[in-house]
Amino acid sequence: MNYGSKTMTRSKLTLALAMGLLAASACSKNGSSDTADKGAAAVKEAGETTIAAGLNQKGRFFTLAKAAGLDATLAGPGPYTVFVPADAAFDKLPAGAVDSWSKPEARTDLTRTLTYHILPGTVLADDIGKAIDSANGKAQLATMGGQVLTATREDGKIVISDAAGGKAVITKADETRANGVVHETNAVLMPSAAS
Amino acid sequence: MSKWMLAAGAAALAVSAPSAAQQGGGRGGQKEHSGHAQKADRGGGGQKARAQRGGGDRQQQANRGGDRQRSQQMRVAQNDDRRGRGGDKVRANNRDNDRGRNEAKVEARGSDRSGNVRVDNRDRGREHVRTVKLDEKVRGNGNARFAVVDGNDIVRVRDVNRGVVRVHDIDRDDLFVRRLGFGVGGCPPGLAKKPVACMPPGQAAKLVGQPLVVAGRYGALAPVPVALRNFYYDDDDYYYRYGGGYMYRVDRGDNLISSMIPLFGAALIGQPLQPNYINSNYQPSYFNSFYPNSSYDCYRNGYGYVYETDCMTGMVENVIPTYGNGYGVGQLLPSSYGYYNLPYTYRGYFNDDDDNYYRYAPGAIYQVDRETALITSVAALLTGGLSVGQPLPVGYSAYNVPMAYRSSYFDTPDVMYRYDNGYIYAVDPGTRVVRSVAYAIV
Repeated sequence: MNYGSKTMTRSKLTLALAMGLLAASACSKNGSSDTADKGAAAVKEAGETTIAAGLNQKGRFFTLAKAAGLDATLAGPGPYTVFVPADAAFDKLPAGAVDSWSKPEARTDLTRTLTYHILPGTVLADDIGKAIDSANGKAQLATMGGQVLTATREDGKIVISDAAGGKAVITKADETRANGVVHETNAVLMPSAAS
Repeated sequence: MSKWMLAAGAAALAVSAPSAAQQGGGRGGQKEHSGHAQKADRGGGGQKARAQRGGGDRQQQANRGGDRQRSQQMRVAQNDDRRGRGGDKVRANNRDNDRGRNEAKVEARGSDRSGNVRVDNRDRGREHVRTVKLDEKVRGNGNARFAVVDGNDIVRVRDVNRGVVRVHDIDRDDLFVRRLGFGVGGCPPGLAKKPVACMPPGQAAKLVGQPLVVAGRYGALAPVPVALRNFYYDDDDYYYRYGGGYMYRVDRGDNLISSMIPLFGAALIGQPLQPNYINSNYQPSYFNSFYPNSSYDCYRNGYGYVYETDCMTGMVENVIPTYGNGYGVGQLLPSSYGYYNLPYTYRGYFNDDDDNYYRYAPGAIYQVDRETALITSVAALLTGGLSVGQPLPVGYSAYNVPMAYRSSYFDTPDVMYRYDNGYIYAVDPGTRVVRSVAYAIV
């Protein structure tokens, strides 16, 4: 009997230990799966929609991207982070600028301008914010065109500045896509002139 | 006397034997390659790929000298390095082309170890590597023209223009394009001043306002390929024709050239490299591994372009684009991009097919139309790249790991992760030095 109870205690202990272990492992699993879930949810939300497919097909940014042969890029493997200026932003450019871009002779300028709006990898607005904070208020972002954009915070909003000092405010952030993320802005960013 | 003759005979044997053996070796190599062509091409990363590329360049030089439409016999050195023999060094000697006229003089160097094809042409006292001879008898049959390579392999020549030879290799069922120094009419530097076929850059500008026929003298003109109609679109006022390294916009009203767009780097080949093309202060981290200098080739980096020059003469032999300078769709891909060279992480996405092939040049992966060698699309954009052991470049302060990998690779006080060109890199937060490749997204 005595022997028996001892056995029982032992087995109970083992059970308790086992449960404890299970609980512990369940806890740690929960911890990481939260992040994983978030990532998975974002991917799920993005679905099969690529950056190219998610853009307004008749919008001016996408029209210009097509003229530069970049539509296939934005539909391909990325990931890319794209600052997409609203259609109205193109009206702020000097008269004739957009028209001249659609000519074959100006494709160089157009490509340089568009690639100045594309960053390597998926950079969420929050990531830019953290980078601004850790870099004393001014974060530099490398673009696919080779030049660098500067990100700052103004009135709680993230502002992207171009080489000439022109500023674009992120108006709608974090539109995640299957191959990256799109941030809508209110201005076209202009790279410095070809050297 | 008889002793002397015997000695001479032995010497002759000794001379011919290695040549025959080398030829045999070359054949063997080719056979092997035909079975594994794709594999060999794709397997070659880094130095190997570079070696293949180098061969292509040499090839181009060789071709440049050989392009004479009026010639009875056309000899074009074929791209030997497609065989994947990394060690082959084939070099054309342009300086001799004035004398050579209808043939490219080609020297093979340093190739004994690697099964190089070396044909010792005693008649001419020169060495020829993989010469292609157009057969005059079948030449009149429209497209069905054939060429004999080394007197053995028969390849179909699809097209011979001033500037471009398209060859269809029946053995390998492979179409490849050889450009013969496009833009300057396929002229080697020594011939650049000769009339008709060669157009120095300064003269090119004078074509604006001239009838299109005049441009036709400098290179056969063709309508814009269908794939590029969106980029060079004909309208009620203008239409486009291309050839000789330029895209011409022609006024429908008077049929005069209203403007011309150089197809990348065209006008510079065969010209001395001007010092103001070069910004020597900046070299991207990948530069030296992609463009190693040799005793023949000197690579210079300048404002978005890489110039390959002949170290001796300083003449531009090739102009290689980088995407940052707006190079892209509607442009000719330089002939040196003869092999599949995509970074490994992108190989699963883009494979050459019947219509297009894909090539990586610093800044982008381009989709190229097989028939015309014109870039039809930018398949992917790439950055200059991060490299392990180097400081993180400016502009990577923001976390940019793709969504699907964020749960595994997130910044901590001990390590931060940054994405670049298909890789996730681990970076030391303190020193900002790229520590290792944490993950390759394939």
